[in-house]
Amino acid sequence: MLPIAYSEFAQIFRNRAVLISNLIMPLAASAFFIFRRDTFAQIGSLGYIAAVLVFTVGAFSLYTTAVTTLSARRQDLFLKRLRSTAASDPAILSGLTLPVAFTALVQVVVMLGIFAAVSGGPAEVALLVVAILATFVMMLALAMATAGLTGSPEQAQVTTLPVSLVTIAVASWVGITGTESLTLLKRLLPGGSATELIVNTWNGGVPFAESLPLLAPTLAWVVVAIVLALRLFRWEPRR
Amino acid sequence: MEQAERPPGASSRPVIEVDRLSVSYGDFIAVKDLSLRVEQGELYALLGTNGAGKTSALEVIEGHRKASSGTVRVFGESPADRRAVRPRMGIMLQESGFSADLTVEESVRLIGRLSGRSDSVDRLLGVVGLTHKAATRVGQLSGGEKRRLDFATTVYGRPELVFLDEPTTGLDIQSRDALWEAVEELRGHGSTVILTTHYLEEAQQHADRIGLMHRGTLRTQGTVPELTRALPAAIQFSLSPGTPAPPLGVAQPGGSAYQIETFELQADLKRLLDWADLHDVGLHGLSAAPTRLDDVFRAIETDPVPTPTR
Repeated sequence: MLPIAYSEFAQIFRNRAVLISNLIMPLAASAFFIFRRDTFAQIGSLGYIAAVLVFTVGAFSLYTTAVTTLSARRQDLFLKRLRSTAASDPAILSGLTLPVAFTALVQVVVMLGIFAAVSGGPAEVALLVVAILATFVMMLALAMATAGLTGSPEQAQVTTLPVSLVTIAVASWVGITGTESLTLLKRLLPGGSATELIVNTWNGGVPFAESLPLLAPTLAWVVVAIVLALRLFRWEPRR
Repeated sequence: MEQAERPPGASSRPVIEVDRLSVSYGDFIAVKDLSLRVEQGELYALLGTNGAGKTSALEVIEGHRKASSGTVRVFGESPADRRAVRPRMGIMLQESGFSADLTVEESVRLIGRLSGRSDSVDRLLGVVGLTHKAATRVGQLSGGEKRRLDFATTVYGRPELVFLDEPTTGLDIQSRDALWEAVEELRGHGSTVILTTHYLEEAQQHADRIGLMHRGTLRTQGTVPELTRALPAAIQFSLSPGTPAPPLGVAQPGGSAYQIETFELQADLKRLLDWADLHDVGLHGLSAAPTRLDDVFRAIETDPVPTPTR
């Protein structure tokens, strides 16, 4: 797995298009949210800004980059090449997605760190970390499922839009309006309960025992995405 | 078909055993009832027309695809058991499958490390003549250079079993010679080689045995002499007008041009030359050619009935 991850790291940083669209742009968007934090805090809360930062990086740096990477590697038969070796399928997929996940995680840590420095830190750091990790696992599993429906890296610009836009829209909806109304719907939507959990852990004031069950819908989405990925993911281009 | 003589270097230990393999895509049968056995040290060429089913059969043997029915064993194991068989085999795919943003050296090192074998990257780049391109990104290589890179990763660590899927396509003559030299060096270490190619002369020159596929079935297999002995050799010449007819049974394609089809090339050629000497006849444009693999290939293409194979 590590040789694949190392080579993937090199490829990400050598491909200017991937670097700009999937790494620099989310950072720029996150910087905008932090710069205009007073405005966004009035609309929602500081926790809402934290949730939007997590989902912006999760949707673009992680999800979109992972789909683009996997479809590109399949299109140029690199996946088939890797499967010609003794590496197992889980090792290949882990190796290909580890650098993307690691980079996204670093981005989130940096942006939330800056956000915490200028506006005050989160109330429940441990649960916030769990919420971010669960969100990233969900986005990664959704990326593998979406990659199965994506024939080329160019197509990824279209096929990633539904999940990216829906998760960010849900994060904004839940972050701004809360979950007092339409509670079940908001929590069951992808990213809904994760947003509520991030908002709660950043703002504080919600008992741990009340926040913890919010992980369940996110983990359910992880299971759904993995099942979809197992059914949809392809190692070779369609003939 | 007669039992082939065991080629030099080949042992009776089967490396590949295929029994009644069939591969289907929906209603389309790509491979039907394919059975073959390749022994250690052999170079076996699987040839066929486009769409004959070679690639589908190879992909099952390599472990890239599941069989619809039948069994395949590689080193006595299922080829799907990658952990067991892949460290012992190198696969040169029909299309390269390298990442454009990695350098040549990085590509060899990556695939080599994943192969489960060890070797020197510098040595391999020297073998395929890419030492000067070590730091070049794969995306900047020509088609022929990518094939050479592919070959370098395939033979990393001198695998016991090597699959070469059209290895010389796009290579210049020097690169082809270097590649075949490297293959012979591998065989000197006891490696078994499975080859597919559209260059029949390469198969004729290098293969111990050849299997010919057409429309999903293995029509015939054997050594080159075994495959060609079923078809006649040809003697061709033309005679001046007014010359008496030659003594052998001849087919006369037209005018003064003659073609003699024979299973006794040497004897019939001698008879023809003796007759020409005796009658002081000039055999213009005389040529005598043994049956070539191309002729067998063409005969199979036009043969609607599958030939039984052993």
